Amino acid sequence: MNAIIFSALSGVAMMFTGIFTTNKSAIRNVAVIALLGLIIVNLLHSYGIFVVRVNTHSMLQFETFGLFFNTLVFAATLLFVLLSGKDVTNAGTYGAEYFALIFFVLCGVSILTCYNSLLMLFIGIEILSIPLYILTGADKRNLKSNEASLKYFLMGSFSTGILLMGITLVYGITGTFSIEAMRPAVSVGAPNYGILEPVGLLFIFIALLFKVSAAPFHFWTPDVYDGAPTVFTSFMATIVKAAGFVSFIRLFDARAIEMGISWKIILPVIIIATLLIGNITAVFQQSVKRMMAYSSIAQAGFMLFAVYVNNDMSKEGILLYTAAYSIATIGIFAILTRMKDITFDGFNGLAKKHPVLAATNAVFLLSLAGIPLTAGFFAKYYMLAAVVKENGAGALWLVIVAVLFAAVSVYYYFRVIQAMYFKEGEPEITEVSGGFKTALVMLAVLIVLIGTFPSALLNWFYF
Amino acid sequence: MNATQIVFWFLSALALVSALMVLLSKNPVHSVLWLITVFFAISGHYILLNAQFLAIVNLIVYAGAIMVLFLFVIMLMNLNKQTEPQKNAWLKMAGAISGGCLLMILISLVKQANEITTKTARMKDGDIGLIGNLGKALFHDYVVPFEISSVLFLSAMVGAVVIGKKD
Repeated sequence: MNAIIFSALSGVAMMFTGIFTTNKSAIRNVAVIALLGLIIVNLLHSYGIFVVRVNTHSMLQFETFGLFFNTLVFAATLLFVLLSGKDVTNAGTYGAEYFALIFFVLCGVSILTCYNSLLMLFIGIEILSIPLYILTGADKRNLKSNEASLKYFLMGSFSTGILLMGITLVYGITGTFSIEAMRPAVSVGAPNYGILEPVGLLFIFIALLFKVSAAPFHFWTPDVYDGAPTVFTSFMATIVKAAGFVSFIRLFDARAIEMGISWKIILPVIIIATLLIGNITAVFQQSVKRMMAYSSIAQAGFMLFAVYVNNDMSKEGILLYTAAYSIATIGIFAILTRMKDITFDGFNGLAKKHPVLAATNAVFLLSLAGIPLTAGFFAKYYMLAAVVKENGAGALWLVIVAVLFAAVSVYYYFRVIQAMYFKEGEPEITEVSGGFKTALVMLAVLIVLIGTFPSALLNWFYF
Repeated sequence: MNATQIVFWFLSALALVSALMVLLSKNPVHSVLWLITVFFAISGHYILLNAQFLAIVNLIVYAGAIMVLFLFVIMLMNLNKQTEPQKNAWLKMAGAISGGCLLMILISLVKQANEITTKTARMKDGDIGLIGNLGKALFHDYVVPFEISSVLFLSAMVGAVVIGKKD
């Protein structure tokens, strides 16, 4: 509850900052302070200290997993603002308002990590989405940005309609919004609701699959990620996507029994389709930004494993994946915003001219590809290990398919590294400050640290 | 046949006739006006069921806001002509079949629902549509989503200003 209230208040505070000052660095500093405060109040909540006590009537249920995920996401946002805060204020005319919208998104994230009622799921998804439609269209003079925003808005509203239809069906047949009431332990001897509940849940899952851009509901992703200002693409592809997965896991945790055995068939098909479409299409891209959009679809395929199996290991896995994927993607997009030419050729010869940028970018790409000693390796490892732990050798084929696609992903990530190190060229790049380079190096060190000692992050979770 | 029953039959007949007229009138503006009559008749039913708040909201939201929107769209798109483009015969048939299916499902549902055959509508002492109950539910059980939805509206408002303002 601390995080929900404080993030909403921070959003309002950012709006007021916009009234009193137009100084961009002052706005950024206020945002950084608010984010630090957000992390602190969330940690306080984890240790049982509340700013205000609210009787939520079991609409929200706070668990360690959700709270730790909040901390992780807020920390990732802090890194994002420290690294790309300048780009946020420069993306359009309203720097402070963009930060306000980012805080509202965080409010949506903190609802989605602890919702216990389908009503809160709906409100959380909407608070998450609506600011994003606007951030996508932040670059008002750019036609592509406008198109992406409109497309995202129309598709997003449509998927919200499907979500509401699903909630209506589930409510109509069970008479409750609570996902808790349907947990297996509670519902022993509960009446069989027939076909309507699985159909309603199916609609909800379709809407959530849309939000995390899993195939076959991924068609909006490349256009929107490509059209949006790069700095907001970075925010959307990392923090927002991870929140979508956590909401997914919460729902599945509670309701998988009602869905019956069919999910064990449907979900692997969706996972494989997502991996296939994401990876194979990414191979053929010319623009690095668009390649990253497809790669985010491919990574979503891996994150879906945490929905497919639900045990302690998959929960650790999704936490690690969120950390690894967010840090790496934020880093790559931060470098991408500095490039004048965002095709693969634009990276030619970057290593000679800007060795620090090239080296950190290489670390980020290696992490996304899942090479050992980087955080991405353990993220993928935990996901696949969770599948094997749950289903034994029966699910081995799924693991093998996933590893094959991870090998395909190495191809397009290494194309960037190859361009940077082994090709001659004159990369055009806007001026980078020393602070920016330091932040990039910090991110790279963080990735290697998590990749070497993943337990450090996870121990903190159990602490 | 007491007064309540007379009012009920009158409102029901009015609602059905106006609903038919929505479909049958050639002029779209007339259709919209008939639709408003339908909403008034249904609001009348709500009042009979002692649900004053529901009746007023139905009038304000549907007959007021949404119908004005319909009228605007019709007038802006200049659809208020008597002539209608000729529709395909297949299209008409498909419409009749799908509409008929819905009607059949509704009728069979009502016939099968044993719960409602034994109960009668509570005319004067029903309290489900009163504003007091709504307020209690909204500010007690559902206070968290109610308050948090303000964040949703705030962000939408900020967005509208950010997108819409000239710079």
